[in-house]
Amino acid sequence: MTTPAKKSPSVVEVSVTGAPRRGTAARLVGALGSGALRLLLITVALLWMVPLMGLLLVSLRSGADNTNSGWWTVLLKPTELTLANYQGLVQDGVVLRSFLNTVYISVPSTVLVVGIGAMAAYALVWLDFPGRDWIMVAVVGLLVLPVQAALIPISRLYGALGVFGSITGAILFHVAFGLPFAVFLLRDFFVGIPRDLLEAARMDGAREWRIFRKVVLPVSRPALASLAVFQFLWVWNDMLVALVLTSPDSAPLTVALRSDLRQFGTNVDVLASGALLSMLVPLLVFFVFQRHFVQGAFATSPR
Amino acid sequence: MPHDLPSDPADHRASRPRRVLGPAILFLLPALLFLAVFLLYPAAYSVVRSLYDASGARFVGFDNYAHMFTDDRTLTAIRNTGIWVLVAPALVTGLGLVFAVLTEHVRWATAFRVLLFMPMAISLFASGIVFRLVYDENPGRGVVNAAMVSVHDAFSTPSEYPGAAPREAFLLPDTTLGGFSGTHTHEPGRVVELPMVGVRPDDLPEQASPASVPEPADPFDNAVRGVVWLDVDLDGDPGVLDDGEYGMPRMTVQAVQDGRVVASTTTGDDGRFTLPRTPPGEYTIHLAADNFTEPFRGLTWLGPTLVTPVLISSWVWIMTGFAVTFIAAGLTAIPRDALEAARVDGATEWQVFRKVTIPLLGPLLLVVFVTLTINVLKIFDLVFVIAPGSVQSDAGVIALRMWQVSFGAGGDQGLGSALVVLLMVLVLPIMYFNIRRFRRERP
Amino acid sequence: MGPWAGDEQRAFERVLAVFEERTGVTVSYSGAGDDLQTLLQTRIQGGDEPDVALIPQAGLIEHFADEGALVPLTTDVVDALDENMAGAWTGFGSVEGTPYGVYLKVADKSLVWYNDALFAEIGAVPPRTWDEFLELSNDLADIGVSPLSIAGADGWVLTDWFENVYLRTAGPRMYDRLGRHEIPWTDPSVEVALETLAQVWGQDRLMSGGRGGALQTDFPTSVVDVYGDDPDAAMVVGADFIGGVVIAGTNATVGDDARVFPFPPMEEGDDSVVVAGDAAVAMNDRAATMELLRFLAGADAAGEWAAIGGFVSPNRHLTADDYADPVTGRVAERVVRAGDGVRFDLSDQQPTVFGATVGDGMWQTLQDFLRDPSDVEGTMSRLEEEATHAYGEG
Repeated sequence: MTTPAKKSPSVVEVSVTGAPRRGTAARLVGALGSGALRLLLITVALLWMVPLMGLLLVSLRSGADNTNSGWWTVLLKPTELTLANYQGLVQDGVVLRSFLNTVYISVPSTVLVVGIGAMAAYALVWLDFPGRDWIMVAVVGLLVLPVQAALIPISRLYGALGVFGSITGAILFHVAFGLPFAVFLLRDFFVGIPRDLLEAARMDGAREWRIFRKVVLPVSRPALASLAVFQFLWVWNDMLVALVLTSPDSAPLTVALRSDLRQFGTNVDVLASGALLSMLVPLLVFFVFQRHFVQGAFATSPR
Repeated sequence: MPHDLPSDPADHRASRPRRVLGPAILFLLPALLFLAVFLLYPAAYSVVRSLYDASGARFVGFDNYAHMFTDDRTLTAIRNTGIWVLVAPALVTGLGLVFAVLTEHVRWATAFRVLLFMPMAISLFASGIVFRLVYDENPGRGVVNAAMVSVHDAFSTPSEYPGAAPREAFLLPDTTLGGFSGTHTHEPGRVVELPMVGVRPDDLPEQASPASVPEPADPFDNAVRGVVWLDVDLDGDPGVLDDGEYGMPRMTVQAVQDGRVVASTTTGDDGRFTLPRTPPGEYTIHLAADNFTEPFRGLTWLGPTLVTPVLISSWVWIMTGFAVTFIAAGLTAIPRDALEAARVDGATEWQVFRKVTIPLLGPLLLVVFVTLTINVLKIFDLVFVIAPGSVQSDAGVIALRMWQVSFGAGGDQGLGSALVVLLMVLVLPIMYFNIRRFRRERP
Repeated sequence: MGPWAGDEQRAFERVLAVFEERTGVTVSYSGAGDDLQTLLQTRIQGGDEPDVALIPQAGLIEHFADEGALVPLTTDVVDALDENMAGAWTGFGSVEGTPYGVYLKVADKSLVWYNDALFAEIGAVPPRTWDEFLELSNDLADIGVSPLSIAGADGWVLTDWFENVYLRTAGPRMYDRLGRHEIPWTDPSVEVALETLAQVWGQDRLMSGGRGGALQTDFPTSVVDVYGDDPDAAMVVGADFIGGVVIAGTNATVGDDARVFPFPPMEEGDDSVVVAGDAAVAMNDRAATMELLRFLAGADAAGEWAAIGGFVSPNRHLTADDYADPVTGRVAERVVRAGDGVRFDLSDQQPTVFGATVGDGMWQTLQDFLRDPSDVEGTMSRLEEEATHAYGEG
């Protein structure tokens, strides 16, 4: 936090319209030699890909083949490949219903966390009131509370309120546990918003809500997008909370796939195909939001 | 992500955010409600509950805490959590920074980042399977050991008879020389019969032929003759060379005198051997250790010693995508003019990176780092799904211990809650550090 | 709510369908798998407990009974039990004389599964005594076949070994006393059992991958080791439900490639059997709840599932013909007929922290013992220490 001189929005725009820039990396490439860099990145990519390949190949082989030989051997015996595991999944009515449940749980949880989190972070950064640092510290402190510590107290509460086993119950729980991270992350992005932007709006007599909607939210799109992606992801893949707080009718995909497990978890084939199928949606979300991360480059300039 | 701080105090005072309690409450209310009900209440519940016994009926004061710090498994968990916290978040933040910077202007950056992101999109259950596929000790199942074994075997030939052993009445394991040594001594001119077990007849080398006992050598030759054969014929007698039993070719046989190898030879296809020019006197027969070296099977990745590093590596695999995503988003927000200005001043790329990029990214890196640290403190399911049952106590971390104690082992909520409180105490340093930052960083 | 998922869940749902048809009561089952205890515990706390729970572990029945979460069986249900269940099974479901559980699905844990082709290769026949078993194992090792695959990564596999050996070396009476912790784990009888175990566990050549490999092997893998296309071992010690794993995970056929013999007794003729099972318990005393339990105690429920397969019932009205395959039929007969020598899984009767927790109690201590089978003394004193602790608190 040493440098930068205040940037007026116009300066940022200059860089937008300026000649193609050479970024740090591009120059590092020049220094390192692009061959070495490419080699490094490809190696890393391979390291990340091998386990994923394993999962993919396992999902494309029968249970007995998987137990009899290593998954990589299928590359030499492509006849073993089969889509049977996927067919089984798609034909299962429970899978479809629980897939919808997952959507019903994940989408509202994500929207609420981003919305409520942004409001709170705005208040904590741009409004002055006594004790706001302490609230912030409490938020960080609560970040460490493990989900499992809340299961029993919240079950009691839900039992008393009668929301046990409902989708609403699961959503509320996820929202609460998503908030500390949301506030923590967004606070940091909001701190970086040039003060002039807000001061200008305030001079114009805009109310706080309007400033929040029209200035702060658009400007922080990359942060909101990244937050949304990860919040979505965590809820999408959650099993523990869903296992405890939902009933068979409201159970999401993770829980439903789990009940397809044979005793002692011998069917990696079913698990792997289920995991890959359920991975498609978060990946899609990532692709869609990825655009916003990049556009975010110029987000600090109001347009 | 620009961060501008007021550089002079006057400026600071002039543009303080408005003191507005009303809107602040409205903005904060929903979040505070959620936090109070779902987090503060359970946190307080844990603190109170930790002072009661397993059933929750009896107040026991700090007994649970005393128990916590005297229990071996909990201490192991605390130590492991320490290792995790020291290594993992820094590693992931560093990798995230490096990858984000290196891919900033590579054409396939998006593809690369999606790839890094993919592990996060896999449910934890599947990650558990994935890492069994990678780290399984059996080279027939785990790809790392499979690779290590094939590389190893490319450079050294595996021994001929791993697992084979002579019948005990004839030779015994030799603790000094390795391999097996004779139980009694011989003199030149004798014929030595060495029946072996522990090899499947189908696994003998192809050239192996039926064994037969050689004629004794001429005593004046100072030679020793003998035969090494696979003594497992079902109808035959143990220790006797029956018809249809095969010799074991290419076995190294030695004569040992006073602890020194004085002669050495290898067996032929029918298992026969001749040790020429054995010095006079008594000697024992020795089968060299390298006949029997067990084949290299890779490492026990999920054993007690390596399990924590392996678990950390799998966490790195999962979380690097998280760090890269945020840091890349932060990089794109760095004002170009700041970088250009530094370059114009003649700074090298490395200096620009260190003096401009890093400080500008600083707060974001800190957020990522703190988030990762707290995530590490909460890890339990990853350990649960990857570590085999026999090493779970070696791999244990606080949150896993808490899970096992509260839900697994007869439900001792008292001790479990004490562990939750311990976790909350562990973040105190992070909170202290952050409160100073929050104060300093006000806009 | 119960522990079954997947195929077992589907089979149980068919049993429930019979009940629904007959009574008009709707029953919905949710499978909790390994997390049953967690789920039950939170549901009880949340005041949303199921009417009937199926509990796979006797110690857990005791735990919930002590917490007051269970309702004792009504006399109707007890009568049905007396009429249907083979001798000891009513007693197994009771806590301090109060009947709580209806055992529905049980397991014979005193079996050794072997690979018939490998046995044929050396002309081996199933051993009748422990000594023959050792001799056979050594013979197999001599011809380069690992005799056993031991799933040392799963603690319960090791406790099953110990229980089988202890029941046979010390006898049923001592077994009961040790089960109630009336004799300490430092008792000489435990020493005998551990030393007997060490005759096998102490020899790397008797198990696939040696001791280190065994500790990395989980239960399904140990079965695949014996019945895979390229088997690594000839025998695996375990319960009847290994058959299910063989069917699901390998190309071998049960009854043909995969056969069983009883866990070898120390002396010929000893018919000791270690059993375990899943019991249905009531969490309220509504009429429909008790009606369901009465139904589950009866021969119709058992018969329905037996015909589907993968199921052994303690119901004495079922005959071997009621079962889907002959292996299961024979196992069921043995469980029902076994006389004095039948004993419930000892570790399942312990407080969970001692008897059934990953990384704790008996599981962990026996894993340490498998790592170093020479340390009989240390193993006994550690077991005693942990048992004292578990009983002291529970």
